[in-house]
Amino acid sequence: MPIIKVNNRDVHIQELNTAAPETILLVHGMCSNLSIYYFRIAPILARHFHVVMYDLKSHGMSEKISSGYDLNSLTDDLVHLMEYLHIASAYLAGYSFGGLICLKMATRFPQRIKKLVLIEAPNPNDDKIRLVMDAYSRESLEHYLNGPNQRKFGNRQMDRKHRLYEHLFHETTIKRDFMQESDFFIDTEIAQIKQETLLLYGSYSPCLEAGENLKEKISSAALFALNGDHDIPLQEPERIGNMMEMFFKNQMAQTYS
Amino acid sequence: MDTIVTAGKLNSNEIFNLLKQFITEVIGEEFVEEMDISMDSSFNKDLEMDSIEIVAFSEKIKAHFGDKIDFTGWLSNMDIDELIGLKLGMIVNFIEECQ
Repeated sequence: MPIIKVNNRDVHIQELNTAAPETILLVHGMCSNLSIYYFRIAPILARHFHVVMYDLKSHGMSEKISSGYDLNSLTDDLVHLMEYLHIASAYLAGYSFGGLICLKMATRFPQRIKKLVLIEAPNPNDDKIRLVMDAYSRESLEHYLNGPNQRKFGNRQMDRKHRLYEHLFHETTIKRDFMQESDFFIDTEIAQIKQETLLLYGSYSPCLEAGENLKEKISSAALFALNGDHDIPLQEPERIGNMMEMFFKNQMAQTYS
Repeated sequence: MDTIVTAGKLNSNEIFNLLKQFITEVIGEEFVEEMDISMDSSFNKDLEMDSIEIVAFSEKIKAHFGDKIDFTGWLSNMDIDELIGLKLGMIVNFIEECQ
């Protein structure tokens, strides 16, 4: 497993098809890890592109870090990773909170981003996210994971998830940092994004409204509502992988017009 | 550090023992000692491995067998239910067929 040192911190990355001339960077969401792409979506993209996945700080197999979860710090992290890997510019895609990191990248470092895919990027002003973080407990985790639509989790898996959430919500600045981003969608900088942007949302997702909001703000954005909810990377991985591949290869218009 | 080993063809028992060693390296000896790992063990229900641990396990297979085994490609054809229901014996069979 490749663990690299970026800014003296351990970062877990996975790369596919390193010989390809153009790179796609994939950013996962909060409390997730790179496996959201690794099994189904990344292999589709790797047919024609160099694919880089990485675990955000404190997530997956990257080092636990107590601070720096605001979008400026997280985009700084991504730029440092690109510098380490000698990637001058790339196609960029992010899921959920990772989508917000990608959006911020396009506003801060537009020259580094060729095109943008945002999957289920939420509006950070949404109180539900804050409420979930505030109300987190082991009991709430067990209640959620043992819900009717979930697979069954064993004690060891539950312990690992609980340790991650405990660390993020009680030992890091993630809650405070996230709250500071609540006005991100009303910032004028989003309307300045010029890159072609593909917005992929679940048709039953509470985040779909955020996608519609972004479509209005970003001049060259196209929005597609896929069959599913916030978990569409798990529900429709093949469709998402194929749509991303077509979008990055400039074949989207021919296929979806 | 993981290295590609260009060993001869392994039989199913040798592959099983190798995969068991990979699982031990990923989830830790203290957990494996409490488990009765068999060909019928599933990653989710029996081994209780989470997705990032299955990534680490996959990388160990790729590092050991190299291009001979397209393990990620094989996994990429499975939906999420198939992936979490995957049993050790299925991987042993896949590797044995690919060698």
